Amino acid sequence: MIMAKRFLSAFLAASLLFTGSMQAVQAAMIGTEQVAESTISAKGAQDRAKIVDMLSRDEVQSELVKRGIDPVEAKSRVAALTDDEASNMASQLDKAPAGGGIIGAIVLVFFVLLLTDILGFTKIFPFTRSVR
Amino acid sequence: MHLIFIHLTLIKASLRRISLLAFLCLLSACAATGVREATHNTQLPRHAELTSTPFFPQAQYQCGPAALATALSAANIQVTPDQLTPEVYVPSRQGSLQIEMMAAARRHGAVSVRIPPQLDAVMQEVAAGNVVVVMQNLGFSWVPSWHYAVVVGYDLDKELLWLRSGTYERFEMSLSAFQRTWARSEHWAFVALPPGKLPASVSADEVAKALIAYEKNASAAARKKAYQAAVTEWPDHQVLLMGLGNAAYAANDLPLAAVTFQHMTEVHPTSAAAYNNLANVLLAQKYIAQAETVAEKGLTVAGDDEKLKSQLAQTLVEIRQSQK
Repeated sequence: MIMAKRFLSAFLAASLLFTGSMQAVQAAMIGTEQVAESTISAKGAQDRAKIVDMLSRDEVQSELVKRGIDPVEAKSRVAALTDDEASNMASQLDKAPAGGGIIGAIVLVFFVLLLTDILGFTKIFPFTRSVR
Repeated sequence: MHLIFIHLTLIKASLRRISLLAFLCLLSACAATGVREATHNTQLPRHAELTSTPFFPQAQYQCGPAALATALSAANIQVTPDQLTPEVYVPSRQGSLQIEMMAAARRHGAVSVRIPPQLDAVMQEVAAGNVVVVMQNLGFSWVPSWHYAVVVGYDLDKELLWLRSGTYERFEMSLSAFQRTWARSEHWAFVALPPGKLPASVSADEVAKALIAYEKNASAAARKKAYQAAVTEWPDHQVLLMGLGNAAYAANDLPLAAVTFQHMTEVHPTSAAAYNNLANVLLAQKYIAQAETVAEKGLTVAGDDEKLKSQLAQTLVEIRQSQK
């Protein structure tokens, strides 16, 4: 299974690489992104330099696969990200808060939160009206 | 006896001082930072609510797809939370990641733009008719309870804000409580707009970045429309002009591409990229001699930027090949 996933992500990375090179040969027009990098932020250029290597795309994809996302779906998700966002992706998956429902935490800290809701620090329970 | 009395008054006085201090602390904590700035902002209408915003009650843990469907439907992009779930929901995290929320909106044809991390910015968008997707932590930093919701209205006098949130169609929050729960996501918020519509609170640079991300998944016609609106607002912005010129070229609207790049060489005479692309457009229009002059000019402007120099050199090669 892991081998199959590895193969698939390598294949997807290769297909990305292929479409990229097709565009580069086709046009001598300079892309908007290139101008944006030099004018809007130098940081963007640095971020890009890090992920020019196509292997990093492979890693991004396998990270997604590990997290239980359909690989085909993952590919189209990655396609919708800017390279900038893509480089942040893998670290975000572990660090970034994933906004879920409010069900999980409620049971554990019901009383604490009910109290703090009323004080206006939190808003777990829609029926409370903060005193502030 | 007398001594004891003195002691008691002393204690009473210090107790009073302490309670006064505690009361003052409470007072200062009353208004979360940013609320005063918003309620005293004279640029904003005192009240606004987008009552026709659709509502999709969320399924368990799936506030991300529900909030996104609400925002996209408000932008006239018909989509249901069920359609969005495979795109933004991460099963192992029981939630949705922020950048995927923005990417999914783009995939469905919306321009996603992060808005500034200020309460006034949220209100500015709502007043301009744009609902705002926000991320909140409804719990504490140590018991996080992350949640996506959509701000649809506010009232500055009552200090209230309304959201499409979870299973509540019109969830009411005080501005202070909202500000606190929103601050825990570092004031993360974005708008999803149909191409051709601009956010009300965002700078030209940020709009340009958003459009660059948008155009990767958009048709040439939609790109052109989106950039055209932005250039109308900021007529001399370098990146936006580049975007419009390229989008027009991609849509095969060569006259617009030529006019746009021409204007860009006038307002940004040091931009070699503008000359390069103008030369390519002229080449496509079969104005070979003019194309060559423009490309040569670009090469001198490029200075010692190796990348730009090689790109212009390649353009010149193509122009000269077409002369044969």
